[in-house]
Amino acid sequence: MIGYIGNILITICLLASLIQSSRLIQDRLVIDQKLFTSISFFSILISFLLLVYLFINSNFNYEIVVSNSHSEKPLIYKIAGAWGNHEGSLLLWILVLTIFNFTFGFSKIKFVNFKDKVMAFQSLIIFGFTLFLLFTSNPFLKTEITVSEGLGLNPVLQDLLLAIHPPILYVGYVGYSLVLSFAIGGMITNKVDNEWAAWLHPWALVAWIFLTLGIGLGSFWAYYELGWGGYWFWDPVENASLMPWLAGTALFHCVLILEKKNILQSWTILLSILTFSFSLIGTFLVRSGILNSVHTFASDPARGSFILIFLAIILVISFGIYAQKGPLLDSKDELKLVSKESSILGNNWLLLSILFVVFLGTLYPLGTDLFLQKSISVGPNYYILTLLPITILLLILMIIGPNTKWKNDKVSNIIFSINKLFILSLAIIFGFSIYFSELELTQITLLTLSLTLVFVSIKNGLRVNNNYSIIKPALGKSLAHVGFGLLILSVVANGTFAREKIFQAKVNDTLQIDNYTFKFDSVEQTKGVNFNAITATFHLMNDQTVMDTFTPEIRVYSNPPTVTSETSIIRKLLTDIYVVMNVPENSNFVNVRIHVKPMISFIWLSVILMAIGGLSAIIFRFKKIR
Amino acid sequence: MKKSNFKYLIPVLITILFLVFFSQLLSRDVTKLSSQLIERPVPDFSMPSLFDENNILSSIDITSSEVALVNIWASWCVPCRSEHEILMLLSKTKGLDLYGINYKDNKKNAIEFIKELGNPFKKIGTDNNGRSSMVWGVYGVPETFIIHKGTVIYKHIGPIHMNELKETVLPILDKLL
Repeated sequence: MIGYIGNILITICLLASLIQSSRLIQDRLVIDQKLFTSISFFSILISFLLLVYLFINSNFNYEIVVSNSHSEKPLIYKIAGAWGNHEGSLLLWILVLTIFNFTFGFSKIKFVNFKDKVMAFQSLIIFGFTLFLLFTSNPFLKTEITVSEGLGLNPVLQDLLLAIHPPILYVGYVGYSLVLSFAIGGMITNKVDNEWAAWLHPWALVAWIFLTLGIGLGSFWAYYELGWGGYWFWDPVENASLMPWLAGTALFHCVLILEKKNILQSWTILLSILTFSFSLIGTFLVRSGILNSVHTFASDPARGSFILIFLAIILVISFGIYAQKGPLLDSKDELKLVSKESSILGNNWLLLSILFVVFLGTLYPLGTDLFLQKSISVGPNYYILTLLPITILLLILMIIGPNTKWKNDKVSNIIFSINKLFILSLAIIFGFSIYFSELELTQITLLTLSLTLVFVSIKNGLRVNNNYSIIKPALGKSLAHVGFGLLILSVVANGTFAREKIFQAKVNDTLQIDNYTFKFDSVEQTKGVNFNAITATFHLMNDQTVMDTFTPEIRVYSNPPTVTSETSIIRKLLTDIYVVMNVPENSNFVNVRIHVKPMISFIWLSVILMAIGGLSAIIFRFKKIR
Repeated sequence: MKKSNFKYLIPVLITILFLVFFSQLLSRDVTKLSSQLIERPVPDFSMPSLFDENNILSSIDITSSEVALVNIWASWCVPCRSEHEILMLLSKTKGLDLYGINYKDNKKNAIEFIKELGNPFKKIGTDNNGRSSMVWGVYGVPETFIIHKGTVIYKHIGPIHMNELKETVLPILDKLL
């Protein structure tokens, strides 16, 4: 019964969005977009809640519940199970699509024709995905045989962070669908100007904030759950989320220029199309089964073909309109080389170069495999070496850009405004290099520039107006830029200073790694519920005082006979330390491995700063408008 | 006028190019990918053993078996779960040694997986970051290699189900054993 209602509701949304999207090609029949959008939104919302209800009730008459849930699973994971699979996550994806259309329907944009076209195109996207859901991935399929218990959820995926990671990421991915609809609506109604950019601005930021947080959360989860100190693996699926982020970052900077200066119209439109295309390409790569990773759902070639056809339709329509309207969009204003707009445009190109590098690294192995029948692996080295010079240029432009005036500026002004902070950063990094540990030239360059960026952005954020109060709209931008500087700083510092050392130690030995001194205090036999263990105690010392105590274990399970090493981890603000040990047979020492991972928490902090920066930019914007 | 309009058509052309590429990707059969390793000796590798940190799994283990089957798996990989009973069946075959490579996994979960579903392997190596198994050209998990006297004979990408077992894997093993 529930499945029946669910399917009817999805069909209602399918029809409503089809009717709405007809406005793209016909002008005779006027459609109340608000009404129809509300219908699609509420029907999808209810069917999604029904699906969650099936999971909460552990209703094993449905295939999706059988394959993804278990009656003894904690409630929160039962709920999360609803979108921890292909069908449910697709329903959630459509829900987010309709939420965006619904909210946009109630926005205060006065230009009726534009609004009509935007919602019509958004409905076309909703229609496509709903069709996809109904015909290849129906979540409300009944089981053919009676089952009394479910198969459970992948244990790696039973994690609170992972329950919220997909919804947040989807809001980001899907948010860019509305950006594309804006581009289409703007082109059809010849309304790609500074007002259009002002309308688009908050939506582009919302999508960007969620995508930033989503990627950050994924990386955070990988660090705590999967890895041994790794937070980014250049895995194709991670890259698939990074690509729309890069395009989206370039996009909203362009929207900024368009809003202020009324230039770069066609370029902004192109970026809007690109950003959502990369969201779709990511979806295609993840769900078609072309890539295999922790993220892939059980694959089905029909799904891959469907997304590809859908991607083709969206792209052909978008670029078709673009080819027709593009030449008419741009205004004749010229761009001066030394100006804020040209430095933002420069950054745009750098972001797109990074995007290109990532795109190539992700698809190249698939290409060689397909055309040359050769399997190659593209590893982190490729990305690090290729992205290094681009990142350096990006940092330089990010330092200069915000301190350059719109339209036209003098080079001397810019250098004057930042040289003190640059010298300060250089002195700090050099001092560090001399007193603590020697650094290579590339490390010094990256660290100095990112530190300068942090300082310069802080200074820009604290700029005051004539009444000595902080200029609030600039605050968001500065926060986000501080975040980015801190991100590069902590990534480079982590890469440079991460240490790993293996010792053969006896009780009372002192172990030295960098400036950390560990004392091997004792070894004892302990007993757990179903295992016997050897537990060692190590003290992290500062002179004679004990700062921290690590107790790595070796556990011996009897049934089945299994030996495991339990790592002892202490996480601090500045550094994470891991201690692992094992005991070779017939020996009087233990093998100890110590990892020191500095600056990890600053990576998360910087992601949060970027997101808060985006958020405060939106908030202050609304306050200003009121 | 016409000349300047041409650049607005460039994205369309690039798009078509990529769409063709993507559709080619879709139409290929990932389970029948060729491997550079076929007819070549087992690649050199060594990695810590899953159950005993002091022990290692290396190419020497595999070449010392007359006929070996190397399976690359992970606890997070759903198809591996469904494939596991086939591996349990294969482990009863006389003269065939199964080796497991646990790929990009969390140790605790990997051990739980084996405890829950049984251990078909003579030895399991762990590769937390996926670096040591790079020499195998790991494309995705699960992947299975059949090795005869140290030479790679066959590579299978994706899970082995009953019909693949009957149609391809068993005939190859029958010849060797």
